[in-house]
Formats: sequence, C-alpha cells, structure tokens
Amino acid sequence: MENAPRPASREELNRFLTEHEGVDPRRLVPLPFPYEDWEDAPIPELSEDKRSRIEVGPDGVAAAQIKVPADDEERDRRVAAFLEGLAKLFTKENNWTFLQPLMLSMENCVKCQTCAEACPIYTGSGRMEAYRPTFRAEVLRKIVNRYLKPGGRILPGLRGNDVELSWDVLVSLAELSYRCTLCRRCAQTCPVGVDNALITREIRKLFSQELGIAMPELHETGTIKQLTVGSSTGLNPAGLADIMEFAEEDIQEKTGLDITMPFDVEGAEYLVMHNAGEFLSWPENLQAFAIILELAGVSWTLSSELVGYDSVNYGLFYDDVQYSRIALKHYEVARKLGVRKMMVGECGHAHKALMPIADRLIPEQLRVRTESCLVVLEDIVVNEKILLDPSRNDFPVTLHDPCNITRSMGIVEPQRKILRKIAPRFREMEPHGVHNYCCGGGSGFAICQSMNFPDWRTRVSGRLKFRQILEAFSDCIEPETPKYVCAPCSNCKGQMRDLLNYYEAWDRCGILYGGLVELIVNAMVDVREGFVEWEMH
Amino acid sequence: MTSTLVLPWVALVLVVFVAGSIWRAWRYARAPMHLRWDLYPVAHEPAPRRDHGGSYLEEREWWTRPRERSLLGEAVFMAEEILFLKGVRANNRRLWWGSFPFHWGLYLLVLTTVGIFLGVAGWRLPLDSGLLSLGALTGGGLVLAGSVILLVLRSTDPKLRPYTAPVDRLNLLFLALFGALCVGVAVRYGLGHVVTVLSGVLRGHEVRVGRLLAAQMAVGGLFLMYMPFTRMVHFFAKYFTYHDVRWDDTPMEPGSPLADRLAAALNYGVDWSAGHVRTGKTWAEVATTLPDEEKGGKA
Ligand code: SF4
Ligand code: SF4
Repeated sequence: MENAPRPASREELNRFLTEHEGVDPRRLVPLPFPYEDWEDAPIPELSEDKRSRIEVGPDGVAAAQIKVPADDEERDRRVAAFLEGLAKLFTKENNWTFLQPLMLSMENCVKCQTCAEACPIYTGSGRMEAYRPTFRAEVLRKIVNRYLKPGGRILPGLRGNDVELSWDVLVSLAELSYRCTLCRRCAQTCPVGVDNALITREIRKLFSQELGIAMPELHETGTIKQLTVGSSTGLNPAGLADIMEFAEEDIQEKTGLDITMPFDVEGAEYLVMHNAGEFLSWPENLQAFAIILELAGVSWTLSSELVGYDSVNYGLFYDDVQYSRIALKHYEVARKLGVRKMMVGECGHAHKALMPIADRLIPEQLRVRTESCLVVLEDIVVNEKILLDPSRNDFPVTLHDPCNITRSMGIVEPQRKILRKIAPRFREMEPHGVHNYCCGGGSGFAICQSMNFPDWRTRVSGRLKFRQILEAFSDCIEPETPKYVCAPCSNCKGQMRDLLNYYEAWDRCGILYGGLVELIVNAMVDVREGFVEWEMH
Repeated sequence: MTSTLVLPWVALVLVVFVAGSIWRAWRYARAPMHLRWDLYPVAHEPAPRRDHGGSYLEEREWWTRPRERSLLGEAVFMAEEILFLKGVRANNRRLWWGSFPFHWGLYLLVLTTVGIFLGVAGWRLPLDSGLLSLGALTGGGLVLAGSVILLVLRSTDPKLRPYTAPVDRLNLLFLALFGALCVGVAVRYGLGHVVTVLSGVLRGHEVRVGRLLAAQMAVGGLFLMYMPFTRMVHFFAKYFTYHDVRWDDTPMEPGSPLADRLAAALNYGVDWSAGHVRTGKTWAEVATTLPDEEKGGKA
C-alpha cells in the first residue's frame, strides 16, 4: 500500500489545511481474505448546490455543516468571534472544566510524532496528513501562539507560528475536529502525556460555545432536542409508553415470559438508564435487560420523565454547557425517584457521561451512586443468579471494546468474564481491552447520517475495526458459519450496522453484530431458544 | 572572562531558572479543578487489575470498597519512563536512538553539576574530580551525539521535518554546542579545575577562567534561563499530565476539598457567546436552565 503524499516542509504542511485533497480509496488500509479484491468507490463529492450552501473540510467531506458566509463582512465577523472564543478557552471562568489539561497539552507537545501510528484514522486512511493526531492540534497551537500570546507576531516564521488566520483555515479546523473520534488511543502512547483528543474536543467546544457551529446531529437534533422533547431520538413520553407495550408483547411472544416494564418505581434499587436509540433500533436489547433483571430478582425501574428515559448525553462530545444541562437532568430524575443507584445500560458514552465526568459536576444534593451494567451483569452471570446453558451460544463470538468504557473508565474484565462463561467460542480481537481500536463511530460519528460523512465513516474511520473483525474470525470466515460481534454500546452498534452493511459482511462472511445482554438471554435456560435472530438489521 | 562575572552570572542563571520553573509549574498547579479525564491503564491501580488496565469501577458498589493505590506501580512506571524512555522506545524506536542518549546525557550533566556544587561546598567523597570529569565527558558527549542525531532526524525524516520550526533546530544546535563545550571543558581542564575556580570565586579570590569554561558557562546559563519558557519543561509538566489528568481518578466525596472546589467553580460567570449558552450567568445557573427559553434553542 502506498501512503498519501507527505509535506516536504513546514511551508507545505499548511497547504494541507487549505488545499483540498480527497481520500484516495486505493490508499486505504488493505483488508484480508475475502476482501483482497474489494474496491472502494471514492467518497462522493457534494453537489454544486450543497457546496454553495455548506462548507467542506480539506478532504471534501462535510460533518459540521457550516453555512457558507453571505459576504466578506460575515467572514471577518466570524474570524473575530473565533479569536474571542479562543481567549475564553484559556480563562478559568469560562473553561474551568478542562483548563488545566488543555494548558498542559497545548504547551508541552514535543512534536515527536510517537502518537501518529496509534491513530486508526490516520493509519487507516493511508496516512493522510490532515488526519495525523497532531495536525489539528498544531494548527490551534500556532494560532494561539501567534494571535493570543504577547509578542506572538514577532518572527512568526522562525518560531513556527506560521498559520495565518482566515475563514478557510477556520473551516478546515472545525471540520477536522470531526475527523477524530476522540478515542484517545494516540494519548496512550504520548510520552509526555499530551492528549490530542482533548485538544480536538476543545476545538469543537470553542466552535459550539462561541460561534454556534457544531455537527447538527449532536446539537440541533441532539442535545437541543433531548432537552426540549425528552430524547435525541425525538421520542416523547407517549411514544415511550407505546414502545414499552410493544416490548412486553414481544417478550411474551419470543420467550414465553410475562414481564411488565417497571416505570417510575419510587425507591427501586436501580434506575436503569438506556440509550433511547435502543428502543427504536434494537428493542431486543431493552427486552433482554428486562428479562435478565426480572429473572435475577433485581429491583429496578425505568423513568418516564423527559430526559430521564434517554441516557444519551452528546454534550460530552462537543459542548460543556449542553453536557452539564443533561447530566444534571439525569441526576435530578434519579434523585426525585429516590432510587438507591443508577445503572448505565449498554452505551459507552453514557457510561462516561454519567460516571467519571459527572463525578466532578453533580452537587451533593443531587448525588446518586452509579454503576455500570457490565458489573451488575457480571455478578448475575458469574454467580449464577440465572440458569445458563452456554451450548446455546455455540458460535464464534468476538468482543468490541467501546473506548469510553475501557480506555476512559478502565472497565475491561467484567464483560470478558461474562463472555467466557456464556460463549464457548469467544475469541479476542487484537489489540483489545484498553488498547482497542475505536469502531470508527465514536464521538457522535455513528449518528451522523448526512452529506457524505457516512461514506467517510465506513471507508476511513471504521476501516481498522472492520479489519480486526475479519482477522478475529479468520479461522471460520465462510458465510455458512454465523458469527457474532458483541458490541455493548448503542453508538458502536450503529457504526457496526453501517460497517457490516457497507462491506456486505453478512452475505460474504456471515458476520452479525449485537449487544451483550442478547447473548446472555440467548443462553438462558428459562427462555425459549433462539433469542438471537440471525438476520441483518 | 574575569572571575568577577562568574558569581553574578551563576546567581542570575539560578534565579531565572528556578523562578521560571516555579512560575510555569505554579500555572499548572493553581489551575481550577477540572472534570475527570482519566486514561487507562492507570499505574496506581493494584495488580492484577493494573495489568489489564482496569479501574475500581470494575468493582460491584465501588464506593463501598476501600480505595487501594499502588505507589509502587506509579514508581515503577515513572522509573521506566525516566531511565529507559520506555514509551518512545516501544512506539517510536527511530527517534529513541537520538532521544535516549540525549536524555541520559542531560541526566549525567545534572548529576555532574550537583557534584560540582557539592565539591564547592567542601564535600569530598565520592566526588573525586576524575569521576566528575567522566560525568561531564560522557554527559556532554551523549548530549552532543543525541542532539546531532535528533537534528538530523528532524531535518530529514518526512514525518518530523514539517513539524520542526527553525527555532527547534536552533535549540538542538545550541544543545549540541553545549554538549561539545562540556566535553571540551572536561578534556581541557578536568572538572577538578571547575570546582577550584568556583570555590575561589566564592571566597572572593581573583581566579582566571579559561575561555572554554567561560563559553561553556555562558552557553549553559543561557540555555537554563531560556528553558522554563519552552516546551522543554516537559520533564516536570509530565508530572501534571500524569498525576493531575490521566491518573486522577479520585472520586468526589461529600465535604471533601474537591466538593469545595466544585462549589467555587459553579459560581464562575460564563460569557460564551453562542445563543444556546445564555451568557452572563454563573455556571450553576446556565447548567440548570434550558437552552430554548430565550433563543428557541437556536445556536
Ligand atoms: S502529542 Fe505526544 S506523542 Fe504526539 S507529537 Fe506531541 S509529544 Fe509526541
Ligand atoms: S483520539 Fe483517536 S481518532 Fe483522534 S487522533 Fe487520537 S487516535 Fe486518532
């Protein structure tokens, strides 16, 4: 495989910021059998009409959907606003949330490039310069050094402060902040402890909190919708009641069990927080949770309150204000119900949003202790609180590690202990655990279905993950053997669905994906056989 | 160079270096509490959890368990990083060939400098001047070799070159010169002479300072005074990036100092300008109001 062109000099580096260069499909990381001859079509360009309204990044892809300014005056106004926001990013009042980590990462990178090879997007793309972990961080650093620091404009060339601010540069910076999944794999390898994912998130935050620029799926139809309608899926309490009724019927039909979905049970042991995307796209996940918790005799409830029935908090990916609003709302709901604890369902970013990040935000009067569902499920499965027959799961299973749960929280073994108990043909991907590759849908990418971003996501950001999946199943890759990628995270499942569909993996290799609880229920003796349905959805 | 300049120069260098470093560290240390941003593996997790990168969140009802922290785990991690540059060796072997000798050269020069000061203070064993000379010779030699290798890599390696500014090359040249001067001083005079010169200066005697030694002191001093204001402070910034960010997994407990710091932070005023933020209020107010009340949720 030939790598993408590299800049020969510092001057040339800036070319990658403003001159457009699309992803070359021939340079994407190659895939193993049976994909040696697989040919990717180029990522489609946006139509003339769209281009006249929406700005694109230096790779011709649009994620943030930035409106083209009406005239030069508007351009200048936005550039000036950016600089004002940049200054705010370094004040404790406006950015106490991440000021210290930001300063440390901005001021101490030694540009050794040790982090580059760890990045699945950079390497997966055939090493496109604009996707290098330090590229966007370096652009921001140069702008800060030149425009914010006293004397920054003295000898800018000598000191490397050679990025001249313009609207085009800002568009590239904003767009490139959506070419990183914030997976933090690069940060793990940095010898200094610099975190390029954090810098990327701060760039997104600056654009959102100062200029109102953010990926619409995260903002308008994400956090704004969640705070106003109740869920980013648009699901309101009436719709929720319908879904639950359907879930109860479905459970009865599929398993023969009579289970009532508990709602707003005051004083329950657990308030279970699901990603509402499960209700609509993977109702079997919600059902499997209900079956396990009921049969294990756990006291639990769901909430029907606005925001309380959707654990999603996309603010985590781009905006501290929106993040805080949703996190507070979640805790308020739990507190009001008087539950003993919260349990986060199979959703990686909700884990991180509700547990370590919320830990330093929720005031004492709203505090409720929170646990990962993986830990509770481990207890149920390993201590045999339900009857299991692992031979029902006699098919190859591999585990995808959601970055937020493993790398950012250190929850690694519970899910493995469960799989070792219920899936006799479980095998790991390489690398795995805290060193896993992101699915390519992290930081909100999985929910972005507009413009040409999904084409980029399946070809570029998910490429290494798909290769890992193929490698994990290389001994049984024929389509006649059904295989299961266990992805205990709603966003990862969204990305898996798109990846497996794009690469036609069900037809070519018999690879399906699903959550962890579905596999547990599939092995439960008290449930009719065949809970996992072998069809692509 | 007359010896009358030596004392003020050394004093100036020490003052600027120490004050600059304290200022830099102080900026990091006094930054407000931030939201957690742990990154696993975390070195103070006890084994065997540390081995798979696990955290206390793997425990059922983690808040009821005593928190175990393995200081040995942290110490081993730091020692491997400092002594072997383990991370660079594992992930960037090419650079390590330059970086490893360079850092070891600096360590040896720091040790030698400490030895010189102890010698000046009257300590004898084990500060034999031959040992000090060996320290300066090997330290200087390694710094020279390491800087040259890094300079070549930064000028030729296509992944480093575009990220290297002229000032970075100047820094390396400067360090190479310093390394060479250290070697020169060790060979020309021996470090016993340096101790004698400094002791004499301290006692107010007029001593002759050779040109090579004067150049070495000038270059070394300039470098030390400049360093705290560059990214070369990563030797202590790294303490903060690890302990205050990626390994900072301390959970909030009621009535703890963290809880007080949170209360203070929630009272900071917010003036981000996007419509959905509702600027001009405190964090607590902003976080408890919905975005749509005044601006229809439009950013
Ligand atoms: S982020 Fe770390 S690893 Fe990457 S170039 Fe900077 S110092 Fe090196
Ligand atoms: S956080 Fe992940 S996607 Fe982003 S630059 Fe680092 S390794 Fe690449």
